Amino acid sequence: MSRMNKTTKSGGIKVYAELLGQYLFPHRGSLIALTLLLFGLIGLQLASPQVIRYFIDTAGSDEPLEKLMYAALLFIGFSIMQQIIAIISTYVGENLAWKTTNKLRGDLAEHCLRLDMDFHKSNTSGSLIERVDGDVNALANFFSSFIIHLGGNLLLMIGIIVLLFLENVWIGAGMLLFVVFAVFIVQHIRKYAAPVWRDWRSINAEYYGFTGEHLEGTEDTRANGASGYVMGRFYGLIRRMLPLRQKAFLGFASMWITTIIVFALGNVMAFVISAYLWKTGAITIGTVYLIFFYTELLAKPIEKIRTQIEDLQKADASMHRIRELMAMESGIKDGPGVKLADGPVAVSFNGMSFSYGESPTIKGLNLDLKPGEVLGLLGRTGSGKTTIARLLLRFYDPQQGAIRLNGTDIRDMKLSELRSTVAIVTQNIEIIQGTVRDNLTFYDPSITDEAICAVLEELGLGDWLRSLKDGLDTTLDSGGGSMSAGEGQLLAFARVFLQNPGLVILDEASSRLDPLTEQRLEKAVDRLLQGRTCIIIAHRLSTIQRAGRIAIMDGGVLAESGDREKLAGDPSSRFSRMLAIGLEEVTA
Amino acid sequence: MSTFTYMMRLIGYRKSWYIANAVLWTIIYLMPIFPGLLTKAFFDSLVPDQPAEFGVGLIVMLLIAAALARSVFIWFGFITDVQFRFRIGMLIRRNLLEHVLKEPGAKAIPCSPGEGISYFRDDVDQTEEAVSWSVDVFGMTCFAAVSCYILIGIDAGMTLLVFLPLVLVVIAAQLATARLQKYREASREATSKVTGAISEMFGNVQAIQVAGAEGRVVDRFRGLGENRRRTMLKDKLMTEMLDSIFSNTVNIGTGLILLLAGQKMRGGEFTVGDFALFVYYLTFVTQFISNFGKFLTYFKQMGVALRRLTFMLQGAPTSVLTAHRALGLERKGAVIDHAVSPGGESSSSVVGSGLGGSAGVSSFEQLELLEATGLTYRYPETGRGIEDIMLRLPRGSFTVVTGPIGSGKTTLARVLLGLLPKDGGIVQWNGRMVKGELGDFFIPPRSAYTAQVPRLYSDSLRENILLGQPDDEVKLDRALRTAVMEDDLAKFPDGLETTIGPRGVKLSGGQAQRTAAARMLVRESELFVFDDLSSALDVETEEKLWDRLFGERGDATCLVISHRKAALARADHIIVLQDGKIEAEGTAEALLESSDSFRKLWHGDLEQSETQ
Repeated sequence: MSRMNKTTKSGGIKVYAELLGQYLFPHRGSLIALTLLLFGLIGLQLASPQVIRYFIDTAGSDEPLEKLMYAALLFIGFSIMQQIIAIISTYVGENLAWKTTNKLRGDLAEHCLRLDMDFHKSNTSGSLIERVDGDVNALANFFSSFIIHLGGNLLLMIGIIVLLFLENVWIGAGMLLFVVFAVFIVQHIRKYAAPVWRDWRSINAEYYGFTGEHLEGTEDTRANGASGYVMGRFYGLIRRMLPLRQKAFLGFASMWITTIIVFALGNVMAFVISAYLWKTGAITIGTVYLIFFYTELLAKPIEKIRTQIEDLQKADASMHRIRELMAMESGIKDGPGVKLADGPVAVSFNGMSFSYGESPTIKGLNLDLKPGEVLGLLGRTGSGKTTIARLLLRFYDPQQGAIRLNGTDIRDMKLSELRSTVAIVTQNIEIIQGTVRDNLTFYDPSITDEAICAVLEELGLGDWLRSLKDGLDTTLDSGGGSMSAGEGQLLAFARVFLQNPGLVILDEASSRLDPLTEQRLEKAVDRLLQGRTCIIIAHRLSTIQRAGRIAIMDGGVLAESGDREKLAGDPSSRFSRMLAIGLEEVTA
Repeated sequence: MSTFTYMMRLIGYRKSWYIANAVLWTIIYLMPIFPGLLTKAFFDSLVPDQPAEFGVGLIVMLLIAAALARSVFIWFGFITDVQFRFRIGMLIRRNLLEHVLKEPGAKAIPCSPGEGISYFRDDVDQTEEAVSWSVDVFGMTCFAAVSCYILIGIDAGMTLLVFLPLVLVVIAAQLATARLQKYREASREATSKVTGAISEMFGNVQAIQVAGAEGRVVDRFRGLGENRRRTMLKDKLMTEMLDSIFSNTVNIGTGLILLLAGQKMRGGEFTVGDFALFVYYLTFVTQFISNFGKFLTYFKQMGVALRRLTFMLQGAPTSVLTAHRALGLERKGAVIDHAVSPGGESSSSVVGSGLGGSAGVSSFEQLELLEATGLTYRYPETGRGIEDIMLRLPRGSFTVVTGPIGSGKTTLARVLLGLLPKDGGIVQWNGRMVKGELGDFFIPPRSAYTAQVPRLYSDSLRENILLGQPDDEVKLDRALRTAVMEDDLAKFPDGLETTIGPRGVKLSGGQAQRTAAARMLVRESELFVFDDLSSALDVETEEKLWDRLFGERGDATCLVISHRKAALARADHIIVLQDGKIEAEGTAEALLESSDSFRKLWHGDLEQSETQ
């Protein structure tokens, strides 16, 4: 369902301008400081060769030797100032780069977090590290150096050419021609190098996706003797990586080679023109050296522009991917927002159909739940039960029909409103690396420690909490680590207790709990469900004993629904047949 | 292992690529000698009333020829560089991955998987960079030597005075890098916090969305980023300061030449050509010094990387990282061989160390009796775990471990299979003690395992089940049937070839568990260990699964963690755990009479069902 807006490849400059405007403009103070520093730096760089020319010509004349010494000292003074300014501008530039890209990283992460499940299904967290951090890093370099180096060096280049024009029109014109030629060639080469770099980054992302998966799955791999399989995949991957990396490196090489040859040509031209002008007596030998020095100095900006363009290549590839990511729209759109009253909500499914792909998962579901009612939703694996829960939370939207809470189409509500009204406990345990508190509140400071402790106590996790070294500040490993899966599931319950939802969905929520704990949980759940509507999704009958209504799904169709007592009493109902099997299980 | 030995061992891995690379880059660095001499020749030709030694035309042609020749070397130099550095980088990654896969599976890395990636990425990149730069340092030293020789020929005193400050700069930089290393470490730490946070965020995206916590989670992420900016800034500023000191030396050097050359130039002993040559070489020598400094920095960073990678090894010797192993990049056959002999290497060594035999995988001993005595493990963070567990599994028995949550059921399975390193106790296979790592011993064909929360990889369903086992249709079909996968299979778009896992079709909890069960069953082992196999299954499917398992397991011994009646009712022997200790054991009947907590466990389920 995630839709990708087609971005045109040709709009490169516009894309940069947009990004720069959005992220750099707020820091214009730093930008101005940086620009001033840059001007100082360029002025010093342009003045130094003039001192040398003066020196050489004075050495060849009869002027007093002190003048030579003053010139030499002046030159050294210029150098030291240059260095100081360079360091300060690095500081300002780096700071700027990190501030801007941190913002971009945050925005990107937030954007991705809000994308729908289709997106997250097809992107591993490992590959998202490459995209949110790796790609932005490539941009960071670009952000910082774009201003200092690309801008500054262009200015330097222009300054040199103007000064050369002032010396002699011919040499100025010659150099201008040379610079235009050099920039053109360098740009041209870049076009060949950018795509190979992109290929390299994308296989790199695949590689780290692979690494991430296997760092998570060590237990399965180890105990089933599958190390050979993992290594086999590793070898297969790196065999595909090497040629792409070589291509990317040769892309670099071709850029460097181009500048070497272009510069040899530039030097040659400077030599030929200045030798001619010297022979005709138009310029002094000091000026010949000045021209030579400026030509060499030109190498620096063009060289820098080359490395900038290398960064640009990386940035270009990254920018492309970032844009792609940003252009992904969640198939789930925020509604205009409707505030539901607190308390239990009425739920109704009106002719709702949904499919993940081609074959429908749910066909024309009609079902109504009164506020405060408890529904037991039964059915085999794949009958569409969990899908109903996902639809209620708008992880997906139905293709036909609608779901209404208190008569309001949930698509008209804001996602945040919806998800604070509807709470879910699933069989998947999602523990993040962080403290117990962070895991329960997700960094919401408005939830007090007392509230957390009270809820944990109520769920029978009091002893567990007291066994922790640092109490609520104890760090839990990602994925649960030293917790048992059952304790993890109780934590998931605790999250819901800390909310104040109007509808609670329990999706096989107690499947990992032993009966003993489940019983202990009963009372807590009773209290949780008081004044709330509830849907209990279950594979087994024991979990739905509190349900007043029963609905049975079969192959995406509502096969049976009604009052529990009535269904149980009707021997022809599916429910009573299921009860029979359930009892068999018990008596076996 | 010192950073230097680490580097040398990596160079030793692919010596010929390294040497080829070193030769090419030395030539590339030496080549600017010629344009320098040509520049001098040009300025020397500009002397009034004297016939030039070389015509401008000849100088110009030679300049272009030198540039072309250098370009050719650079092209090949890049090929050797990438070939060499890719190999050493991937060697470390290979060894690290192999090591991680050998560690106790439930505790394979000392950090979150997200942080783990940053070790695989940044620390190896760091190492690669440093080793690759050692070549450049050698080439540039050659250039410095040759150019010094030429310059001394022109004016020994001036050469000394210009090069001396450069040496001082190197020493100063040396002293400064100690501080840099500290900054570097801090900034790497901050970086891996950031990548770790990304991994956490997207690994738990559903929980975050459900809690509506997107904004708060991102705020925390931004905070980590801010911290990273601060540490990065220190790091970069220090690096840049050193860099700019290095690179400014050329200007200071030029100034020194000017100071010294005034009188000599007027006297004519020092020509403008000489001056041009001095400044020309100075530029390259300075570049050398700046690059030398860069190398020193990289080298120090490699030290940091080495320490971090050593931490990742969790106590194993550092030599594991640099062990010379084939990567299969040259010969096409090598990799495939490796892929079809899963765990071959390790299992043969286990038989050797574990049972005193010298034969390979095929001659393992059939399980008659598996015993564990005094098995103990405590989680370092909480001090909880299991204590003094006695376990006796005769051939063909069906044992169920049960108990309330947090009683140590999963921990018991993990410790027995070596997925967590035991703190105490012994394990005996047919009466003989298993020596060495339990994790190396308890693999197919001795045992296979289904984890409580099984992980699937981004690969085809077939590969996810086989995980490198030889593709035997009959075995695979049998495993799929026993695991009750046939209906699901019919629904998948490409059947067994459907890509599943994080990058493929996402399976439901029950499907994932049954896939993991098939993964275990296809391994036709002596011992099957199931952790909570049926927790995500509906009653009908669960009933089918147990039926088929019971019917098809043959002589296989089963250890099952469950509190489901379907499993308990079939058990020959039941172990009730409480707070990490065995509280009661026996048959269901006996326990119903003798054990209060077992009654509660049993009746808890019973009462609930009967109320229906």
